[in-house]
Amino acid sequence: MKRIWTLAVPVVLAALLAGGKVSAAAPGVGDCLECHGDKTIEKSLPGGATVSLYVDLNAYRASVHGKGACTTCHSSATSPHGKLAKVTCGKCHPDADKSYSSSTHGKSRAKGALDVAGCDDCHGKHDIKKAKDPAARSFHLNIAAVCLKCHMDRAIEDKYGLPGQQVMEAYEKSVHGMAATKSGLMGSAVCPDCHGNHAILPGDQPRSATHRQNIPTLCGKCHSGILEAYEKSVHGKGMRGGIPESPVCTDCHGEHKITKVSDPSSSVFAKNVPKTCSACHEKEGISTRYALPKKRFSTYMDSFHGIALEYGMTKAANCASCHGFHEVLPAADPASTVNKANLPRTCGKCHPNAGPNFAKGPVHVEVTPQKAMGVFAVRVFYTVFISMLVLLFVCHVGLDLLGRRRRKRLGEGEKE
Amino acid sequence: MSVESRKSASVVRMSPMFRVQHGLLMLTLLVLALTGFALMYHDNWLARLLIRLEGGVLFRGFIHCTAAVILMAQMVFHAYYMLFTREGKRELKDFLLGIRDFADFGQAIRFNLGAASEYPRIGKYGYKEKFQYWGATIGTFLISITGVILWAETTTMSLLPKVVLDITLIIHGYQGLLAFVILLFWHVYNEHLHPSVFPMNRAWLTGNVDAEWLRQEHPLEYEKLKQEGVL
Repeated sequence: MKRIWTLAVPVVLAALLAGGKVSAAAPGVGDCLECHGDKTIEKSLPGGATVSLYVDLNAYRASVHGKGACTTCHSSATSPHGKLAKVTCGKCHPDADKSYSSSTHGKSRAKGALDVAGCDDCHGKHDIKKAKDPAARSFHLNIAAVCLKCHMDRAIEDKYGLPGQQVMEAYEKSVHGMAATKSGLMGSAVCPDCHGNHAILPGDQPRSATHRQNIPTLCGKCHSGILEAYEKSVHGKGMRGGIPESPVCTDCHGEHKITKVSDPSSSVFAKNVPKTCSACHEKEGISTRYALPKKRFSTYMDSFHGIALEYGMTKAANCASCHGFHEVLPAADPASTVNKANLPRTCGKCHPNAGPNFAKGPVHVEVTPQKAMGVFAVRVFYTVFISMLVLLFVCHVGLDLLGRRRRKRLGEGEKE
Repeated sequence: MSVESRKSASVVRMSPMFRVQHGLLMLTLLVLALTGFALMYHDNWLARLLIRLEGGVLFRGFIHCTAAVILMAQMVFHAYYMLFTREGKRELKDFLLGIRDFADFGQAIRFNLGAASEYPRIGKYGYKEKFQYWGATIGTFLISITGVILWAETTTMSLLPKVVLDITLIIHGYQGLLAFVILLFWHVYNEHLHPSVFPMNRAWLTGNVDAEWLRQEHPLEYEKLKQEGVL
């Protein structure tokens, strides 16, 4: 008896809400389930496919809407009924609806693309649960799988020109992906943390959360200490100042494939740092435009540090060891770790004996008369000296062989 | 003495002591060159292969330093041996440079060009041997000093500016190249490719040379030995 009452209450409420619009009393959940509780109930689509119309009452009851009535969403439903009007979640969730309409999903769907994610694709239909519920599709640790259902689908990727499967796979292996799937961390970055949820937009649109100019702030949501250091750096200041080439987080760390610094595949792994920095710093255009010193990469790679790093001694100093990571500053800045006054301390991190005396002279040795006269002169001397010597040796060998023939001839002459 | 018996007679040119020293020198220089040049010209496939074979960049340094220690110890021992032992003193006297060597060199060149009528009469060690010996001595000395400065970088860093260490590194590397070039063009020619010894002067292995060879190439020494009754 009691059960009937609990069923009846929402039905009555729904009927009241529906008001005079429906002449007959609106059908209750029980009425609907008379048909929709049948597991075999289905409808045929024009293409010949069939769609199940079964509603799992238990799942519905357990859902966030479980205390409501079918007619709350399916307001045009009567018993019996034909094709129902589309469910509009926005009726009760206007804010979400507004954000969604401005999103790339919403816009495409408004144009009639039905394979683009709507509310139910991410939240479910009759079984919607609150995002906090670990069983919810939109739960922090479940959402990536929901996104990937479409974003790992090659047909959809091709149709909408989306990033390929390898990008998504890279996320799953990334430090963020692993934090979610392997460690189950609630603080891990999952798709909506960076891309947004309802208002999701492609990264090339300025309003997108993942647009270049928004990246530092975006990453700083979680990595706030690093954002603070970055904002003070020459890169951060340049970026905020509107210099387009100034790197943001993703330029050094990558996007979906981002891995731990200790991972040899990471672009910021010690061995890969010089390559990552030189992607910009070896560019003629950039170093000319911003008056940056040139040949930093080649001079580094020819140094003891560079050679050691190249051959796998990750302990050896890379760019960031001296210049700093997020807080990198130009050498002219008194706060820079590579400012002349600070060099003894910077070198001293690894070489405690390297005092102010050691820090004299250039660190990146570009062997030209202007940059390093001493080294240049010694090198020229030896090059000339050795070349001359080789030339003289060759002459000597030639003459010696010539003389030997003469000696032999004379010797034979003597004998006769 | 008949031609036959003269030909078969042989003379000691390198005592076991010098053969051991020569062997060690050859071995250490070879190891030092292989490990050193791999680092100096690190940016090609051969260097990469060598460094890999040498057990990585760290172990390469270990091998290089070990060979260097042996070389330097040998240099010290050699200096002692040449200055304070009877055999060493005698050899050193033969190796001392004199005006005569420059004159010999000049005369040899003139003879080779056809401008002098006689090839210089050479003693135990001629200008070829002396150039090799003193070149190697000065080179080893210079490369050892620069090598130690670079090796003891923890200490030298506190005494010298980086620019001095940069120059030291350049000298060390090019001094090695210089030694290599001398060995290739001078030593290999004189001791291997020269028609009188081709394919090799065996003295470094057997210690002996043919008396006939000595008569032709080092006539003064030949006569001296003859006078002393050794031959």
